[in-house]
Amino acid sequence: MASERNELTMPSTGRAARAQHLLKGKTWSDRDLKAKIFIFSAALLIMAATVALTVFLIVKGLHSFLIDGISVIEMFVAGEWNPNANPPSFGALPLLFGSFAVTLLSVAIATPIALGTAIFMTEIAKKRGQKLMRPVMELLVGIPSVVYGFIGLTVIVPFIRDHLGGIGFGLLAAGIVLGIMILPTVTTVAADAFQSVPNHLREASLALGATRWQTIYRVVVPAALPSVLTAVILGMARAFGEALAVQMVIGNTAQIPHSLTEPAATLTTMITSSLGETTYGSLQNDALWSLGLILLAMSYLFILVIRFLSYRRRSS
Amino acid sequence: MYVLTLEKEKRIVQPNPEAMETELKVNNLNVFYGSNHAVKNVSMEIKKHAITALIGPSGCGKSTFLRSINRMNDLIPGAVCKGEILYEGINLLDASVDVVSLRKEIGMLFQKPNPFPKSIFDNVTHGLKCAGIRKKDVLENAVEESLKLAGLWDETKDRLKHSALSLSGGQQQRLCLARALAMKPKVLLLDEPTSALDPVSTAKIEELLMSLKKRITIVIVTHNMQQAARIADQTAFFYEGTLVEFGNTRDLFENPTHTRTKSYISGQFG
Amino acid sequence: MNAKVTDRLATLCFILCAAITAGTLFSLLGYIVFQGVSHIDWHFLTADASTFQAGGGIKNQLWNSFYMLLMTMFFSVPLGIAGGIYLAEYARPNKITAFLRSCVEVLASLPSIIVGMFGMLLFVNTFHWGYSVLSGALALTIFNLPVIIRVTEDALAAVARDQKEASFALGATHWQTIRTVLLPAAFPGLLTGIILSVGRVFGESAALLFTAGLSTPNLNFGDWNPMSPQSPINPFRSAETLSVHIWAVNTNGIIPDAKIVAAGSSAVLVIVVLLFNIIARLVGALIEKRWSGK
Ligand SMILES: Nc1ncnc2c1ncn2[C@@H]1O[C@H](COP(=O)(O)OP(=O)(O)OP(=O)(O)O)[C@@H](O)[C@H]1O
Ligand SMILES: [Mg+2]
Repeated sequence: MASERNELTMPSTGRAARAQHLLKGKTWSDRDLKAKIFIFSAALLIMAATVALTVFLIVKGLHSFLIDGISVIEMFVAGEWNPNANPPSFGALPLLFGSFAVTLLSVAIATPIALGTAIFMTEIAKKRGQKLMRPVMELLVGIPSVVYGFIGLTVIVPFIRDHLGGIGFGLLAAGIVLGIMILPTVTTVAADAFQSVPNHLREASLALGATRWQTIYRVVVPAALPSVLTAVILGMARAFGEALAVQMVIGNTAQIPHSLTEPAATLTTMITSSLGETTYGSLQNDALWSLGLILLAMSYLFILVIRFLSYRRRSS
Repeated sequence: MYVLTLEKEKRIVQPNPEAMETELKVNNLNVFYGSNHAVKNVSMEIKKHAITALIGPSGCGKSTFLRSINRMNDLIPGAVCKGEILYEGINLLDASVDVVSLRKEIGMLFQKPNPFPKSIFDNVTHGLKCAGIRKKDVLENAVEESLKLAGLWDETKDRLKHSALSLSGGQQQRLCLARALAMKPKVLLLDEPTSALDPVSTAKIEELLMSLKKRITIVIVTHNMQQAARIADQTAFFYEGTLVEFGNTRDLFENPTHTRTKSYISGQFG
Repeated sequence: MNAKVTDRLATLCFILCAAITAGTLFSLLGYIVFQGVSHIDWHFLTADASTFQAGGGIKNQLWNSFYMLLMTMFFSVPLGIAGGIYLAEYARPNKITAFLRSCVEVLASLPSIIVGMFGMLLFVNTFHWGYSVLSGALALTIFNLPVIIRVTEDALAAVARDQKEASFALGATHWQTIRTVLLPAAFPGLLTGIILSVGRVFGESAALLFTAGLSTPNLNFGDWNPMSPQSPINPFRSAETLSVHIWAVNTNGIIPDAKIVAAGSSAVLVIVVLLFNIIARLVGALIEKRWSGK
């Protein structure tokens, strides 16, 4: 009897499938199709938006060079930006100078303090750093930039005017405002970097009799350096692209200033002040879109640098 | 030793496993994780309405083997299964198999109890709802029936709306069992289902499995050799991805043919 | 110098840095809130802004900010969550995924004025929607999308793998698993992230300058026909938000009390952002507690 049953039910490759319901069959359709379509279209839309943004701004930005005949070289070397003069001049050098100057100034102000704070948060007061400082920093990252600009306008500009002379508006005011603005960003990212240094490195150093300071600057900082650099670049990118806060305190004069307390202008502030004021499609307006293109290119450059750093971090 | 002590109680009820129908016929199964060859050329027949135990040292491919039966390895990027697993005349590894229907029929219980952070009721009905069953009375009946089968009804009937996480570890594992049973599976795959549980909960699960095998084919991975000896009709010993020995549990434990098997079951390695 | 003395000095330095950071930022916050709060009263919040006289309020700006916020969230939350689900669940490790990730990264790091310029090109000029609530909300959507995508992806990735496997093993499809297991488990993180992004969107200004405009028509709060030009909910009218208002009264403002209006508006802005932050943290902690407890 046993052998009979065995024979009967012995499966073999040749026999037709009994469990048709387990096969996809001809009428099989993906049960998730609707959801998948939505999700895949969202992904497509995100890519399309990014590409469209880049392409639109490049095409519009090239307009002034290709159609209006403004010379690319003039834009990068000529020292005067005066689109309303006759003949108009489109030297973006003062604006480029302004952008780089305020960026470097802000980073120079923010980096030491931010790194010191980050080290305080991760190496010295670990508990309070995590429980108190971090949420506060994250909150401050979210404070709107116009608020920083307004503070610059009502506190920093008058302070500079009263104590350092000049009218108060200028690179220094902009640098300070941006420095304060990027301080929480740089601090949190740098704190993350220090935090991700494995503890056994610290312990090894301390066990060899090194003091905490020696451990920090010989072990922790070198180990976290690429990530710390990323933090600084992130701060730079944010400072370079900030528009309204800078526009409120820099004085908006397209010139290369002789001192930090003289008014100046940047790429973003020129766009902010003039893009809405000029007629769309006019020469003056087109030139501003070219400034936008430069800004876009710089942003991509920052992104590439950050990518490169994180790539090197991962591969090492 | 323990094999001998268990003999008396087992002998009465055990039919001859070799005389039983085959539910799953595995032919030359090979599984790769990228370049890691985790299961090597395994062939075996898993009997219908019997308990088959898979034993072997850690990392020998038991879980991998088990997870290729209900195609859970599909979830792992880079995992490739080759060969045949015949079930009801179809090859489960074939691309034409609808894995969603397959998993409704071949259920699985995991090592760590993993109830969803929802109510007990919602846990049991998860699979049914996903299968499109919405009628309240159908769901309620299914919940009662599965919880009874899993021996959890008396403990939970008054708190079906409570969070499943409020249950003890052993209860959680039985809830997961009830959740799988609600789908009325034909085959149940268990990956070390009792390794995270205390002896009492373990005994309960074993008892349940013994009663369930009347209607369900059970494949269980275990590190506990007493457990295999207690409940399994057939036992397979895996070593480094290969199936070293497979046969009736009693034969395998009493007269292992391979020295590897012998030293493993006598506790010399693993 | 003695190593111990150096160590002490260095520690002192770090404490000083932290004190400077905390001190500066707190005094700024305090300054904004306490300076401004004295100017905030019922009249300020509910009166129309004036064009050249003192004593104007911020009713329309406040309304515009919230209306635009709502519309932005309406677009960016479903889209961002879908994008995050794609990256966390559906993306295969291939070139397209890498490209999508780069796109998200680019959107996340572009200056918001660039986003505003793109909005002007596409929505304002190409689609001829002009300076409008809709153009502004779409620009803000681009600005907010990467945040929601990241929050979603991180929250989904943090869900334990065994939950996903348990659902699959019960014969649930991928989408059923996402909808009934992964998203509910990711919900606390998701909600916290979304509320935080609300604060960011509420304060954004540069992206709106060239998309939503610097003016608001005379709104008639009795007219709720979305097509009528003075309706508060007309999506095609221009809409100056609160943060743009702060910039505008300071830059080209002719009202004599620009500083007072700006101070009051800044305080309102900061208080709203603070509130969203606190709510986000409370809600996150609350849900976490309710789910893990009991
Ligand atoms: N997701 C995975 N990705 C890559 N390799 C894996 C993966 N899962 C398992 N492996 C590898 O496959 C081999 C078999 O693993 P498997 O989990 O099947 O062993 P096991 O017998 O179940 O072990 P244990 O008793 O510890 O559960 C091991 O070498 C393991 O490293
Ligand atoms: Mg295993």
